[in-house]
Formats: sequence, C-alpha cells, structure tokens
Amino acid sequence: MEPSQEGSASDRDLMARLAGGDREALAPLMERHYQRLYRIALSYLRQPDDALDTVQETFVKAFQNAGRWDGSVEAGPWLSRVAINQSIDRWRRNRRRQATFAPFVEGDHDAVLADASPSPDQRVRRRELRDRLALALDTLPERQRAVVALRHHQEMTLEEIAETLGMRLGTVKSTLHRALARLRDAMPEELKP
Amino acid sequence: MILAHLRLRRRVALLAAGVVDGDDQAEARAHVAACPRCREEYAALESVVSALESDPVRDAEPDLPVSVLIDRVQRDLDYAAPKTARPAVEWRLALPAAAAAVLALVLLGPELASRLVPAPPVPTPGPLAAVPLEVLDRLERNMAREHAARYLSDAQDVLLAVAATQVDCERENDRIDVGEAPDRSRQLLARRALLVESQPEAVASARTVLDEVELALREVAELPSCVRRRDVRRLRQEMDRRQLHMRIRLMTRELEG
Repeated sequence: MEPSQEGSASDRDLMARLAGGDREALAPLMERHYQRLYRIALSYLRQPDDALDTVQETFVKAFQNAGRWDGSVEAGPWLSRVAINQSIDRWRRNRRRQATFAPFVEGDHDAVLADASPSPDQRVRRRELRDRLALALDTLPERQRAVVALRHHQEMTLEEIAETLGMRLGTVKSTLHRALARLRDAMPEELKP
Repeated sequence: MILAHLRLRRRVALLAAGVVDGDDQAEARAHVAACPRCREEYAALESVVSALESDPVRDAEPDLPVSVLIDRVQRDLDYAAPKTARPAVEWRLALPAAAAAVLALVLLGPELASRLVPAPPVPTPGPLAAVPLEVLDRLERNMAREHAARYLSDAQDVLLAVAATQVDCERENDRIDVGEAPDRSRQLLARRALLVESQPEAVASARTVLDEVELALREVAELPSCVRRRDVRRLRQEMDRRQLHMRIRLMTRELEG
C-alpha cells in the first residue's frame, strides 16, 4: 500500500502532518489514493457522481479525523475504511430518498465498454450482464455489498477486508459466502458467462 | 457425513471466490469432484465471480481531475472551520452602502427635521453618525443580496452558454469551442469570494445554491477553450441532475425580494 516514490513523503508522514492540521499534506495523499478510493466508492454505489462526492467527503473526514489515526494500520486501509463507511452512509441516504435506480455506466462510460468488447453482440451481452449485476448487487444488504465490492472489485484479501470493515475473519467469510449465493440466485442463467 | 458436507459447502463457495488455498483448497476441490450438487453449485458461483470480475467499475476512471477534487476538499474544509471572528466588511461593498445612507439622509433630512417639535439645540452630528446603525446594516444587507442575485444571474448566463454551445473547434474533431466561458467563470469566482466573505449572514439562505454554482463554475474555469463534447455533456447532465438552473432562478428571485 505504501508508495515508494523517492523524494516524496510517505503516507505515514502525510497522515502525521494531517493530524497536526497541515492541509498541504492533503494534496499528495489525494493524488496517491484518489483513483483507488473512487473505485471503491463506485463499486459500492455504482453511480459515478455519487462516487466522486463520496471520495470528496472521504478526504474531508480523513483530515478532520486524522488525529484519531494511531498508526496501527497503514494509511491506505484506513482511508479505504473511511471511504467504504462514507459509501454506506450515502447509500442509506439514497435509499431514504428513494432515489430511482439507474445502473452504472451511462452515456460517456459506454465508450469504456465499447473498447473492451469488439463485437456488437458482445457489447449488448456485456451491457445486459452489467445491468443485471448492478440490480443483483442492489439487493444485497450493506455489509454483503461492501465485502463483495472489496473482494471482487478491489481484489483485497479476506484479511484486508476484515481490517477495512472492522470485522472478524470468520464473519467476512460467511458474509462473502452468503453474498455470492444471493447473487447467484439473482443472476439469470442466460446471462451467466 | 452430513456435517462434513455442510462445512465443506461454505468452503466450496469460498473456493469459487478464489480465497481458499493450501490444504483447504485441496480438500474443497476433492469434495467438488465427489459431490455432483456441490459441483453444480461451484460452477454457478464461479460464473457469478467471473461476472463480477468483468464488471467495468473495476477499471473505471474518475471523470474529474484530482486537482479539482483537491480544491473542493479544501473549500469544504474552509467552510467547516469554525468562524472565530466576523470578517471585516469589504470596502467595495461597504462604500456604496455608506453612500446610499448619506444620500437617504440628504433626501429625507429636511422632511424629518420639519417634523421635529421643538428641536433642542444640540450640536450637529456628522452625516453618517446621524444614520442609525440598524439602517446602515439593512442597507448593507440589501445591497449584498442584490450583488448575490446579480452574481447568480451572471453565473447562470455562463453555465447556460457552455451547456448550449455547439461551435466546433476549427482544428480538432469532436471538440467544441467554449470561448470565453472559462475566463468569465474565473472572474465570477473572484466575485463570489467577495460576496460570501463580506456579508455572510445576508446571503446565508443562498449558501447552498452559491456553493453548487461555485462547483459548476470551477469545472468550467478548468476547461480549455476547446473541449471534448463528452465533457460538456457531463457538465450539462450534472447541472440537470442538480436542477441547478431552476434553483438559481428561484434563489435570484428570492434575493431580489
């Protein structure tokens, strides 16, 4: 997690500076972790705008709570934890507002898929799969959703997930098991790869 | 036997998720090979995992440059910081307010004087000292609200112009020319800072809209003069999603009284 860029401060140094109220330390920390945290938030929320807002809130919280960071975990997992908690909060707020569901990847994001899938048939199939997957993920309870996002979108190990979510390893395993079983039931046969 | 099957069933799911290794993995694989139901279960779960792993969010790139996000975070922290003292009144706003007060005194002074019966002989005060403080405050407040309304209206002009622009860039395909919009946005952002700092209470009710307009202007200010169509489309979608133009109109009316 710790970048080894010569001549630049380590994440730990930057966190220590944040804890001391140095806002200048935010920029290098954001440059290092922005994309990763964006993907965490996006895999949870599946809305690019919400994900961006969540990353913004994550760094505000990180600055405000840097004093509580005791160095027992690296800055990366600590920021991931803040990001996933912010994502969960936003998801709850969206639910309360009964926001209309819109699957991820609209408009401009289609270009990403077009590049990845050469034939029109494949593109259509991928789009259907993606939409069904988004709908299936939307049915998961928040902890299951978080475990799936961190494992299958971020490729975290179970230990890292346990650390990020503050769960016991056994609980992470059973949560992942239940989440996959639920997704399996929600995915139509014809769309499975 | 049944208990062992149940225990291994969870392990089969974790095997499909790719999180089992060593002896556990060998045991789970042997169980899958020997148990037709578990084999079926494993295949179904593996296909779910495969679908998750081809999900485009894994490689998604944020649409916003990190520099813009850094600005937003710094701005949020500015607002979150406790205000220890009321900021000094900005002279460019205070001066017109004082001038208006003097003018009001000059126009209304004789009429007010004629109503005084009988006036005790007191030393004549200076013109500003004669204006009650609350009147000056009200004048300042009204002027700040008028400035805010004008600012919002000007900002809306810029945002609408960017969203509606269709002028192709001469040399680059699929790009459109947003002309002076980035420069105008930067000028408006400078005005915005002045507004909020000089009379924060007067424009408190407009703060949310002012903040959102600021975000939109910051994005426009970051644009080059030749912009990808998709970037303009995303800006427009974001403004639509936030119903920004309608909210600007409503707030402008409210500020204008």
